[in-house]
Amino acid sequence: MKKITLQLLYSFIIRWFLRVFVGVKFDKADFLLKEKQFIIVANHNSHLDTLTIMASLPRKIVHKVRPVAAADHFGKTKWKEMLSNFFINAVLIQRKRDKENPENDPINRMVKALDEGYSLILFPEGTRGEPEVQQPLKPGISYVLIQRPHIKYVPAYMKGMGKAMPKDDNLIVPFTSSLTYGRPRQAASLDTSDILQQIERDLNRLKDSTIQ
Amino acid sequence: MIEKLLRLDFIHNDDILFVILLIFGILIFASTLFFIVGWIKPQAKLGELKARTNSWWVMASLFIGATIVNHTLAYIAIGMLSFVAFRELYSVLDFRASDRRAIFWAFVAIPIQYYLAYIGWYGAYIIFIPVGMFLFLPMRLVLKGNTDGIIQSMSTLQWVLMLTVFGISHMAYLLSLPEISGFSSGGRGLLLFLVFLTEINDVMQFTWGKLFGKHKIIPKVSPNKTWEGFIGGVISTTTFGYFLGFLTPLSTYEVLFVSFAIAVSGFVGDIVMSSVKRDIGVKDMGTSIPGHGGILDRIDSLSYTAPVFFHLVYYMAY
Repeated sequence: MKKITLQLLYSFIIRWFLRVFVGVKFDKADFLLKEKQFIIVANHNSHLDTLTIMASLPRKIVHKVRPVAAADHFGKTKWKEMLSNFFINAVLIQRKRDKENPENDPINRMVKALDEGYSLILFPEGTRGEPEVQQPLKPGISYVLIQRPHIKYVPAYMKGMGKAMPKDDNLIVPFTSSLTYGRPRQAASLDTSDILQQIERDLNRLKDSTIQ
Repeated sequence: MIEKLLRLDFIHNDDILFVILLIFGILIFASTLFFIVGWIKPQAKLGELKARTNSWWVMASLFIGATIVNHTLAYIAIGMLSFVAFRELYSVLDFRASDRRAIFWAFVAIPIQYYLAYIGWYGAYIIFIPVGMFLFLPMRLVLKGNTDGIIQSMSTLQWVLMLTVFGISHMAYLLSLPEISGFSSGGRGLLLFLVFLTEINDVMQFTWGKLFGKHKIIPKVSPNKTWEGFIGGVISTTTFGYFLGFLTPLSTYEVLFVSFAIAVSGFVGDIVMSSVKRDIGVKDMGTSIPGHGGILDRIDSLSYTAPVFFHLVYYMAY
């Protein structure tokens, strides 16, 4: 039931809405079918970001990919948590690490989802910032990649989303925007800051390739 | 039921049917030509020309399908054209974050403008954007309170709206013109005449320019525009217009004049959009049509020819 709902919602309704109404140009994402598991790492400016990535995925794997979202925002109330679970298929995490309760620890939660066979969508900037301005990346992604080194990450860069629907505004105004994927890559080292730098370079390279 | 949905009576209208066959004939000729040339000379670089022709196939089919077959669909299709063009243009023109509310209302104006065209309320249709939105949008900008750069936002927003919505919507209003006795093609004929001539003009100016172009008209804006291309295009387009005059209710001299006006204004629309692109520093407005760039790269001439043609015909025949 959830699988069909997600496929119908993202591969048809939301994809159509984003493409025709908002004006999103989607990059091809068929290459993701070749990867067994992956973590999509993207820049974050808008609530549309998650929807755009979900809508760009091949229909067959939409239900196997879970966006990672902040519990304080998307799990504020029981009702909101249920909606986030069902319609966004989100992995809710808290923003701070929790060494005393391993079950609540954000890193453990992400690793657990990976172990269950899901792929993840992660916004390492942590929160939505100013349109087209990149914030420093948070180290969480590195911890996950260190714990599960066989999993590849896929850089994704979105342009214009923060103009179609910025952080402090709930009104969507159509704006020609785009989503571009990079090649899937493995972390080249086991050092937190090295991995972060590698991801940041990949994102910047994608950003440069979209500005023409 | 079917007769209500589809206006298939164009099959009995020899004039319109003839032009449709002509359009597809030209397309078949172009595709065959490129196929044969590509077969004989595989080293010839036909990629872009082929992509352009294929896009023409899609655009011509969509256009003919929407305008000739179903009347109501045509208003929606042209309205969508305005919507995409408006979005494409304003997205590349650095608006401020505080302009979003006003831009939203400019989007709302699109269905209203096309609805006014649909019901054929000429008085409201013709002032809604030039007067109504002209007064309303600055007010919405002012209410937001950010005065830094507000003059630029006020003027640019109105200009984008005029060019992509008001101008293009004249195509739709052609379909709402009242019937003239003894003139069977009606608004559909006029629309077909306008679009066909505008596009032929683009192609002719390009071809003449490629073949004989030497003396540049405005090298700073568009280095490919030459006097030879321009004059050759104007003459060819006027000739085409003369032979397609049966699609309009105009006299021979009027048809010649209107065709000439389409040729010249099409050229102007083209270079106006070129200068905008030059200012922003892009080659094409987008990538929505293979080989053609964005929607705007395709309808830049139409945004000028549509109002010019409409008002000339409206003055001469209605």
